[in-house]
Amino acid sequence: MPPDEVTPADGDAAATAETPADGGGDDGGLSFDDDPWYRRYLRESSVHLVVILLFAAYPGVYAVLTHPSTPGNVEMVYLLPQVETMIVVLYFGLFAMSFDFISGYTGYLSFGHAAFFGVGAYFVVLTANGKVPLLASGTPFMISLLVAGVLAAVLALLIGSVSFRLSGVYFAMITLGVAQVLYVLFSNWGYVGENPRDGVAVGGSHLEGFDIGIPWIDQLNLTIGAFQGDTVQGLLGFLNFSTVEVSYYMLGVIVVLSYFTMQRIVHSPFGRVMIAIRENEERARAIGYDVFRYKMGAFAISGFFGAVAGALFAGYSRSVSPDGSFYFLVSGDALLAAIIGGFGTLGGALFGHLFHEFLREFLSKEGSGGGLLPYLRDVLSDSLLSTELYNGFTVGEFVETFLNGHAALYIGIVFVLFVLYVPNGIVGTARAYVGGTLAKQVPARFRRGGGDG
Amino acid sequence: MIDAVAALGPAAPGTLAQVDAGTVVSVLVDGLSKAAIYVMIAAGLTLIFGLMGVLNFAHGSLTMLGAYAGGLVLVVAISSGSGALTRLAVFFAAVVAVFAALTAVGAALEVTLVRPLYDRPPLYQILLTFGLTLIFDEFARMVVEFYGLQPRSAWQEAVGTKPEFLAESNAYDVAGAPVVGLDLFEIVLGVVTVAAIWGFLTRTRYGLYIRAGSEDAEMAEALGINIRRAFTVVFGVGVGVAGAAGVLLAWDTAWGASVPLGAETLLPAFVVVIIGGLGTFRGTVLAALLVGMVDGLMTYVFNSGIVEFPGLPELTVFLTLVVMLIVRPQGLAGVEEVGGH
Repeated sequence: MPPDEVTPADGDAAATAETPADGGGDDGGLSFDDDPWYRRYLRESSVHLVVILLFAAYPGVYAVLTHPSTPGNVEMVYLLPQVETMIVVLYFGLFAMSFDFISGYTGYLSFGHAAFFGVGAYFVVLTANGKVPLLASGTPFMISLLVAGVLAAVLALLIGSVSFRLSGVYFAMITLGVAQVLYVLFSNWGYVGENPRDGVAVGGSHLEGFDIGIPWIDQLNLTIGAFQGDTVQGLLGFLNFSTVEVSYYMLGVIVVLSYFTMQRIVHSPFGRVMIAIRENEERARAIGYDVFRYKMGAFAISGFFGAVAGALFAGYSRSVSPDGSFYFLVSGDALLAAIIGGFGTLGGALFGHLFHEFLREFLSKEGSGGGLLPYLRDVLSDSLLSTELYNGFTVGEFVETFLNGHAALYIGIVFVLFVLYVPNGIVGTARAYVGGTLAKQVPARFRRGGGDG
Repeated sequence: MIDAVAALGPAAPGTLAQVDAGTVVSVLVDGLSKAAIYVMIAAGLTLIFGLMGVLNFAHGSLTMLGAYAGGLVLVVAISSGSGALTRLAVFFAAVVAVFAALTAVGAALEVTLVRPLYDRPPLYQILLTFGLTLIFDEFARMVVEFYGLQPRSAWQEAVGTKPEFLAESNAYDVAGAPVVGLDLFEIVLGVVTVAAIWGFLTRTRYGLYIRAGSEDAEMAEALGINIRRAFTVVFGVGVGVAGAAGVLLAWDTAWGASVPLGAETLLPAFVVVIIGGLGTFRGTVLAALLVGMVDGLMTYVFNSGIVEFPGLPELTVFLTLVVMLIVRPQGLAGVEEVGGH
């Protein structure tokens, strides 16, 4: 998706931002100021464009590299994440970005962020099951996604109105408390489903899939879902997409739109105030900003996108459980992604979660998605596997014990190492290295390099 | 938590008219035993926060490790033929051993991992200890699975090592209410823990250092107190108390040694510490009493069928936290400035 189509979608939230951000922020390209705005925007977004193209090409690349006729395809199956895993990276990456939006930019640790993810996910499933008043079971997915987002924004305003009087640890605790209240409520409330503790699935009254696209126009919709989504045959004559790939692209469109919206806000004057609050709230207040309003606004936006991520998750998996949505460890996963990717870098959270999911799949016990364990079973000889290490404990047992599905241990170790030695995360460290945001500095370097040569 | 009370006796069909002395006693004992557990799992957390300002997210996981370590001692040392006194003796030996081992672990963690982060924003200490939680939990799962135990459910062998007179099946009649021995045992241990920590804080030299350091760490240092060493000792002792509480939980059917025990104890410990006012031991004791009694009362309300919502006790506990933070953010015993932490 070309970024110039994205700009109108930014809408009112960023509208006030345009002039000052463009005037003040662009230090590399004086000679380009005469260019029309969209060309400047395109140039500034060239890194984004490359990342989006890489993500867009991934299913094709995966298919080619793992094709039986490609040399080295066996290793690639073990190494590369499946497209299914990349879908998780997309929606959970969006959730981690929404977490980073409030926590990384204003410095208020939203440890109960799972509340918004859960609201989004439960809202979609309950709407499809006809359990939400005023919304019929057949409500288009895009509508329930938006309503879920608005609902989460309202919830964020409610939480924020009492919790933004507090700071630091207390803010983290009150958000955690609210999320746990919702967790207990949805784990025990018989109204949501037969067995609320195990979660709810989209029931028989809603057999059709969830469509992403323009509501009510069939031609502009594609159904997402692991098993029952749409397939696309013969696009441009030669492109065929399976249900999983269609879901990947459709979720990707929403994630890209959400990312650009948040990115625009972060680079607007509103976003500058968010950073000012993080750096020195007293001073931001002294300058005359109504910091409470800015915090409330940022929290509401963050909650909105957190719920959008939850809605995408529920729309794709067609079921939701309290442990997978409202539980505090879900917020913890977002925290992991944001820290590993780079706190306060927005896009970093997506890469942080990509790393997380990659490691999880790499160390998973199932052979279907590949991973280290089946690879070792294949490669290591039987005699080596049955070699005794200590007191009847063989190499094979060692591998089973320490690698089989224990990705969380290694994620934890990597996370602790990041906290201790790479506190700025992947993207933050890269930013410090190039001296600014990657989106601005990388093209500038290319330009300078081109000029010299 | 809910199961423990189910054992307390036949649930009376609930009308207020039927509240008699027996009901009051059983709710009181249940609430107090819960308060005792809460104070034990929260005491270490509040000690560490009070002096160092570090919110230890790994606290629950360390309780879980303590529960498994204590359970191991109990299972190895107690055979089916052991008498009640032997079992009690082994239990206290396990408490001492786990306390010593985890104090060492805590001190080592402070020196190697927490210390480099003191000059960073407090957020990083939360992050670090959260990462430690992941490592400890997954490590425990790895070891437990290796020995063929089910990591998600309570370790029944360890639960089964408690002496007959403490067992849930063996209730005593107090004012017409069936009271389980283990509940009384927990109350006694809770009182002993509070007294011990109180004595440590007010009657020992290190307690003096800690109180001085909590007031003003820089001033204490200027007066010649080795505040660094005090940090290490407090982190160690705090973690040790968490582990010792775990040994007791390994005997309790409602908890038991399991990997999710870490998260299950961490959240109530946070609630208690925050309600009490971060870092004040007196507040933590008061808050544990409050939360324990609320929990006990709501468990009764659910069990007697007045409210048919199974999550009621847990829900009320978290609601208490939220309401407390709105009404009195500094906590029961906290002072105003603490809110600025």
